[in-house]
Amino acid sequence: MSRVLNALPAMLVLLILAAAWLLPPFLPWDYRIIDWDHVSSPALTPGHLLGTDSVGRDLLSRTLIGTRITTMVAIAAASVSLLIGTLWGALAGWCGGRIDNVMMRIVDALYALPFMFVVILLMVVFGRSILLVFIGIGAVEWLTMARVVRGQMLALRQRPFILAAEAAGASPRFIIFRHALPNMAAVILAYLLLTVPQVVMVESFLSFLGLGVQEPMTSLGILVKEGADDMDVFPMALLVPGGVLVTLVISLTLLGERLRDRWAA
Amino acid sequence: MFGLILRRLMASIPTLLAVVFLSFFLMRFAPGSPFDGERPLDPETRLALDAAYGLNQPIIVQFGRYITGLAHGDFGPSLVYRDFTVTDLIWTGLPVSLLIGALALLLAMAGGIAIGLAATLRPNGPLDRSLMLCMTLLTALPTFVTGPILALVFALWLGWLPVAGWGDGAPVYLVLPVLALTLPTMGAVAKLTRAGLAQIMTQDHIRAAQGRGISGWRLIARHALRPALLPVISYAGPAAAGLLTGAVVIETIFALPGLGRYFVQGALNRDYPLVMGVVTLYAALIVLFNLIADVLYGWLDPRVRG
Repeated sequence: MSRVLNALPAMLVLLILAAAWLLPPFLPWDYRIIDWDHVSSPALTPGHLLGTDSVGRDLLSRTLIGTRITTMVAIAAASVSLLIGTLWGALAGWCGGRIDNVMMRIVDALYALPFMFVVILLMVVFGRSILLVFIGIGAVEWLTMARVVRGQMLALRQRPFILAAEAAGASPRFIIFRHALPNMAAVILAYLLLTVPQVVMVESFLSFLGLGVQEPMTSLGILVKEGADDMDVFPMALLVPGGVLVTLVISLTLLGERLRDRWAA
Repeated sequence: MFGLILRRLMASIPTLLAVVFLSFFLMRFAPGSPFDGERPLDPETRLALDAAYGLNQPIIVQFGRYITGLAHGDFGPSLVYRDFTVTDLIWTGLPVSLLIGALALLLAMAGGIAIGLAATLRPNGPLDRSLMLCMTLLTALPTFVTGPILALVFALWLGWLPVAGWGDGAPVYLVLPVLALTLPTMGAVAKLTRAGLAQIMTQDHIRAAQGRGISGWRLIARHALRPALLPVISYAGPAAAGLLTGAVVIETIFALPGLGRYFVQGALNRDYPLVMGVVTLYAALIVLFNLIADVLYGWLDPRVRG
């Protein structure tokens, strides 16, 4: 029983991802097409397993495509945060001393900023493009990664195999990329997994407010917003995408926390 | 103590300046002008408008004027709400946001600490496990999902509370927004309290107290709680930031006339001065909350006063 429970988060994530990426081509209705005969129809209407929204678009297709966009943005943004955070942290940890001090002070100062609002400011100024959504989010979420990598780097810096590589004349770049980073891959992966649900939340937050992904594309945040607007007549439109979003975020968080406790403690 | 506050205040000035600087120059690099409408303006009107808003001056002069204005509490004119200054709008919205934010912070702290305490009484017991699982779920629930679902259940289905609106601040209108805002923060506070207590309970002074025959509630309340609350206090700064962000969504969902709603409207309408003003204010509030948290930390833990 507890084995099944332990595997549940991973299974749910895989199930949601598989459905979002494999299922849409086999559905009778595309997420953009309006079925004029079935507007705001309840679940189990022929052709619409979960019913349609207030303009007659299939809720199941829309939720699956929304999940797809949300996970795509999440992976892209998490990669941006991985790139910035790892390089920043590795450099600070490797150099140590005054450089480390200054770099980490910058991270501390950035932690104190209302970064969600800076992302919104970016959206306002540069227009709302999906590219900007994930660069913006990635640029916000790298701070924890930088701290973790820097801590690992400081610990590795004094280990014999690193010192040996240095004594053998290897360049810092070679040592960082070939010896140090692979050595902390597990920890980085755990924190990357914890970054993904954060990013999903930020993206949905922006899209919910109308500042993220734009129509006709959709994302879980937009679907929750639309569902909240017509929840009085059609609660499914809120509960289905909301349920998928919450399941995804919670499962990823639990998975990430478990990996972190196993590898990083 | 006074020295600590002063030092912290000095240290927060660069952070605030950075926010103002960033938002000001981002706004100026934005393509297009705030006066671009459906029809092109004739050049004379354009020049007159630029002169009226000081946009024909060198950018450094404009920045200096903006900073001077800020120092006097003047955030400039709103571009969309033509008859109001940004300061007017902030004064209308801020009390609403502060009210729901403060209520949510208090509730989250009180509820979270109580749940953390209850979970610690029997470590790893069934109550502890189920409470902590619930709290993990709460922290992972975004406000923009819980808000509408709470409204759906308690307002539309059960009909106990109003769906949305402000109702001139009548308490029934506050229940759902404050609750939705409280839940994630409460989860985080409960987890921190539980973790802090678990760590403190292994320390020498607790074993000494146990040796003198103190146990149960008395042990936790008198000897363990105060040091265990330190992580909770240092979380107050980030929690305030989280509540401000959450309030933006909550005010949109429940149609409350708060700062967050002006912020979202400003962002959607490209009302630059309004957005900049609110971002600056939010930054100042977050810096202030971090400062308060630091001072409280020093008061609770004599070791860091230095």
